[in-house]
Amino acid sequence: MKTETKVGLLALAALILVLVFASMMGSLSPFSRGRSLDVVYNYAGGIDEGSPVRVMGINVGKVRAIRFEPGFKMPDGEEVKLRLTISVDQKAWSSIRTDSRFYINMAGVIGEKFLEISPGSLDQPEFADGAVVRGEDPPRVDQLISQSYGLAGKLINLLEKNEGSVSNVIQQVDRLTTNFNKTLSLLDKTSKNKEMARLLDNAIKISDDMAYLTGSLRSKKAEESYHLMHKLLFRLEPLDGPAIRKFLQEEGVRARVF
Amino acid sequence: MKSLRWKETLQQLFFVANGSGFIVVFCVCFAAMVTILEASFHMKMVIQNDSMVPGFAALLILKELGAVVTALLLTSRVGAGIAAEVGLMKVTEQIDALRMLGIEPVRYLVLPRLVACVIGAVLLTLIANMVCLICAMLVSDLMLGYSPAMFLSSMRIFVKFQDLLLAAVKGAFFGAVIPLVACHFGFRCRPGAEGVGSATTQSVVVASILIIVLDFVLSYTFSYL
Repeated sequence: MKTETKVGLLALAALILVLVFASMMGSLSPFSRGRSLDVVYNYAGGIDEGSPVRVMGINVGKVRAIRFEPGFKMPDGEEVKLRLTISVDQKAWSSIRTDSRFYINMAGVIGEKFLEISPGSLDQPEFADGAVVRGEDPPRVDQLISQSYGLAGKLINLLEKNEGSVSNVIQQVDRLTTNFNKTLSLLDKTSKNKEMARLLDNAIKISDDMAYLTGSLRSKKAEESYHLMHKLLFRLEPLDGPAIRKFLQEEGVRARVF
Repeated sequence: MKSLRWKETLQQLFFVANGSGFIVVFCVCFAAMVTILEASFHMKMVIQNDSMVPGFAALLILKELGAVVTALLLTSRVGAGIAAEVGLMKVTEQIDALRMLGIEPVRYLVLPRLVACVIGAVLLTLIANMVCLICAMLVSDLMLGYSPAMFLSSMRIFVKFQDLLLAAVKGAFFGAVIPLVACHFGFRCRPGAEGVGSATTQSVVVASILIIVLDFVLSYTFSYL
């Protein structure tokens, strides 16, 4: 074999290995039939080009490109400024419907970011190739932590300023708990006493009687009596000392009233 | 390009790349084994978990191991060879004869070796990296219990395609250092067998040091990419 051929074969081997590496990294996939979708976000939580795309936890594609589009608006007028172009394998395409949701999640020990697509319902249509869909913005953990720091700072300030009151409140709560505990144990002991049992029996009887009385009060007869009493009181209301005295004097009765 | 002696360059390329191929592949295989097993041992010792070891090992192989081990092996084999060859030519006054014939010795001797070493080092670096990765994958499958799919999944978290290209760029720089240093000491070779031996030794030592230093400079520069 000629020297040129041997050198050429070595160069060819190196080229093939580079292509194998590209295929291993997913940069080159000549045999995969995939479709693409544009998912738009306002915050993408650190996802990167090449991050995996998963449907029901299975890798079905990857984030191909990330583009900033400051002027982009959804049909409903919402401004969404970040566009992720993702590729999805043909085998998973039918699981993605127009009601599917596009989340950015985190997995693994080092927090690898990936795009999770929830499967849609069968009665919804599939997406067209290259369609634009609105993704679910992930929660801003950094903001949450920052707010928590603020809150923690305020709490510490509050505790430092009112150290005496706080310790007093804690002591009082402690005492209250002790007392409550004592009361409960006392109640537990007394409920076993005979006198206490009789007291409870009586309370039950009184409660039964009260129930009977209130039941009778709701009857029609009781209602009539109530109306009559109301009328009587209404008539008696204008009567006072001088009026009664005048009435009795007119009737020839001498009496010392009031 | 006209001044480049293509036939001589191709001969040198054969000497550099094909001649060193087996040694490089053999050595990087063992380097990969040691890397992944040591990384696993230490990760288990520190965090009782070595699930990320394939990724770390792949990153280490692509960023450092593949290119540097290849370059150091080339230094000891090719660099020493060039230094001895050029040194002997100097001692036997062949270089002076070239000058007498009106041939520029740098263009005649150094340029083909430089081109051949740069191309050869790039090819060998690419091959070494890939063989190293495949070997690490096999070791992780057989000895650590991580299947090739798990290895690739872990590798994709840490490694990008451009890492292999940057390794090739490193290989090109290292490949340039080897003949330049070797020819430098060859042209300044003192007379006698001792002079040739000294030139060869100095060439290997200086080229190795330069490769290590250049590796730091390039790694530091690439970290900003």
